[in-house]
Amino acid sequence: ALRAVIKVTLLKNEPTGKPITLEGLFVGGSAGSAEGKLMQSHPLSLCNTSEDERQESDFISIVKLESPERKVPQCLPLLHKARLALERGAQAVIFDVTDDVNAKFQLPESDSLLRPVVLMQAADAEMLMELVNRNEEARVRIDIKREDPKWPHYD
Amino acid sequence: IPGVSSGCQGGCLTCSDYNGCLSCKPRLFIFLERNGMRQIGVCLPSCPSGFYGTRSPDRNTCTKCRPECDSCFNKNLCMRCRAGYYLHLGKCQESCPESLVCSDTQRECVPKCPV
Repeated sequence: ALRAVIKVTLLKNEPTGKPITLEGLFVGGSAGSAEGKLMQSHPLSLCNTSEDERQESDFISIVKLESPERKVPQCLPLLHKARLALERGAQAVIFDVTDDVNAKFQLPESDSLLRPVVLMQAADAEMLMELVNRNEEARVRIDIKREDPKWPHYD
Repeated sequence: IPGVSSGCQGGCLTCSDYNGCLSCKPRLFIFLERNGMRQIGVCLPSCPSGFYGTRSPDRNTCTKCRPECDSCFNKNLCMRCRAGYYLHLGKCQESCPESLVCSDTQRECVPKCPV
């Protein structure tokens, strides 16, 4: 799967602030670029029965997935949740899968994801969630990570 | 109770630091509260204005009223409309039927004053 580069700039530091660079993994078939304001979505907000208010501007949703032991009602398969978030206007969706390592198996290669869906975990995901927790408004830019070409070894 | 972290507010059955309440104690409604960029779950005995409660076996949720409705009993029964709309038969309309007039104070379609 293609890797994603996620550059995060705190709105209070714009325009001069140096972005924080993090990494994630694109869900197959959704790799691409996106930019927007970071907005948290509660896992239950991505169910058919609930509607998140329409955000006014470009936003990127971040969803912290809980460990299965927490028995959060699943209401929809993860792929449908990702699609629902995009249909509600998200420019991209980031899933923090740190506590739900099997989430990636619920997100197979798909051509039905019209915009980027990225899986993040561990330190990179925690950095992002800490910003959310402190309600520090931030802009996020997602791009495909360019891998350095591996030159053949010459003697 | 497993999954209940110290950060749990009253009413939560399970919760986490980042998402707040994930499930509520019996009879309470889970409301997804937006505060800036954060959206956390909170457990309430009833839903705030602008939302209505829906009970189901696995969870009770608060769902938003229609955009033109300020306060509703359910999706199809509004109780008070937004400014510029008028309540008629439980629905919010931009104008009233012939036999009625629009009352801006009550935001309702009301009978015409007898002449």
